[in-house]
Amino acid sequence: MLMLSFSLVGISLVVCQASIFYLFSSWLGSPDLVFILIAFMAYRFDWLRGLCLVLVLSWVMDVISGLYLGTYPLLYLFLFVSLKFFKEKSPVKEVAYQVPLVGVAFLAEYSGMYAIYSLVLPGILPEWSWARILQETLILTVATIPCFLLYNSLFEYMSKRRFVAPRILRKRSGNYFR
Amino acid sequence: MISSLQVFTGDYLALWNIRDDNKHLRLVIADYQQQLDQYREAYARNRYLENELKFKKEENFPSLTARVIGKDPSFWFQTLIVDRGKSDGVIEGMVARTSLGVVGQVIQVSDNYAKILLTNAPSSAIDAMIQKNRVRGILKGAADKGYVLYYVLKNADVVVGDRIVTGIGGVFRSGIPLGTVSAVRSKRRGMFQEIEVAPIVDFGQLEMVFIDLSEKQKIAEEMRITVNPVVE
Repeated sequence: MLMLSFSLVGISLVVCQASIFYLFSSWLGSPDLVFILIAFMAYRFDWLRGLCLVLVLSWVMDVISGLYLGTYPLLYLFLFVSLKFFKEKSPVKEVAYQVPLVGVAFLAEYSGMYAIYSLVLPGILPEWSWARILQETLILTVATIPCFLLYNSLFEYMSKRRFVAPRILRKRSGNYFR
Repeated sequence: MISSLQVFTGDYLALWNIRDDNKHLRLVIADYQQQLDQYREAYARNRYLENELKFKKEENFPSLTARVIGKDPSFWFQTLIVDRGKSDGVIEGMVARTSLGVVGQVIQVSDNYAKILLTNAPSSAIDAMIQKNRVRGILKGAADKGYVLYYVLKNADVVVGDRIVTGIGGVFRSGIPLGTVSAVRSKRRGMFQEIEVAPIVDFGQLEMVFIDLSEKQKIAEEMRITVNPVVE
């Protein structure tokens, strides 16, 4: 249920980003909410479930966005793995760096992606703009706080809730007279 | 004394009625305001659709109307998603237009949707010319900055406000509006001028586009795609 609910949240975010966000004014930017969701999953999910969800969401994102397939799976996988390693190896308490680290990861990943694109396929991306990337980083970092609160509530709600199969699906015991 | 008390009571009761009337009228005004907004939207939409329909009738090319259903969520890629795909006969390489001018080119097609690379994407390059003197150049996308027209010699007569249209080569038909010159710079070194062009199409406001279905076979051959007949 946890996987299913977070998959649905992720897919809804992809759809919203592609169909609604472009209607907003430009100063609001286009925060990558799926990026925030993946960062949250790196903090909260275990390796197997997290990786499965990352792959599903990144493939969906790849279909909607970008020019070359494979960009988002690479971007999101790298994000998930790096944050997961950082979380597991860091001696500092997680709460202290959770939100700022998402901003730093965004800046680092997008800069890295830009550098790779510039080397492999020069002229594909617009001119590098520090103002734009810093604006997007700031917006994403601010958006991380409510998103994390929301995802955390959902995560805790779904973790506590035990999935009870409907009566019809339950295996009946052999004793029909009980 | 009694009459003045009666007047006061009458006025007081009238005030109560006025308050109720006021509340009611405010609700009526809000309702009318909402209706007015709807009519304004309907009027604007009607005008827009009328223009597009007029364009479709006047321009003699087989076109497919596609609704814009999404835009690339990333701030680096300039693509649109439309609600037409392979099942409607769309193939990669087809040109998307509006009544104003060129929008872009189809780059990915699924059964029921297609992705269009906007002409202001840095990876887009179009053979273009200055309408007044037919001087040709290559128009490259510059994302938020619009376009840049390359390879126009320094001796060419270009001023701000000149119209830029599609040139002779490539998949775009000749003479389709692209934009107007917004800045011209000429450096001491080099042979060419630096020309900035403002797009004629507002890519942020696109609601629908026309996909040019003509020369499908030629595009398919160029893109090495097998064309399947459209099932009606």
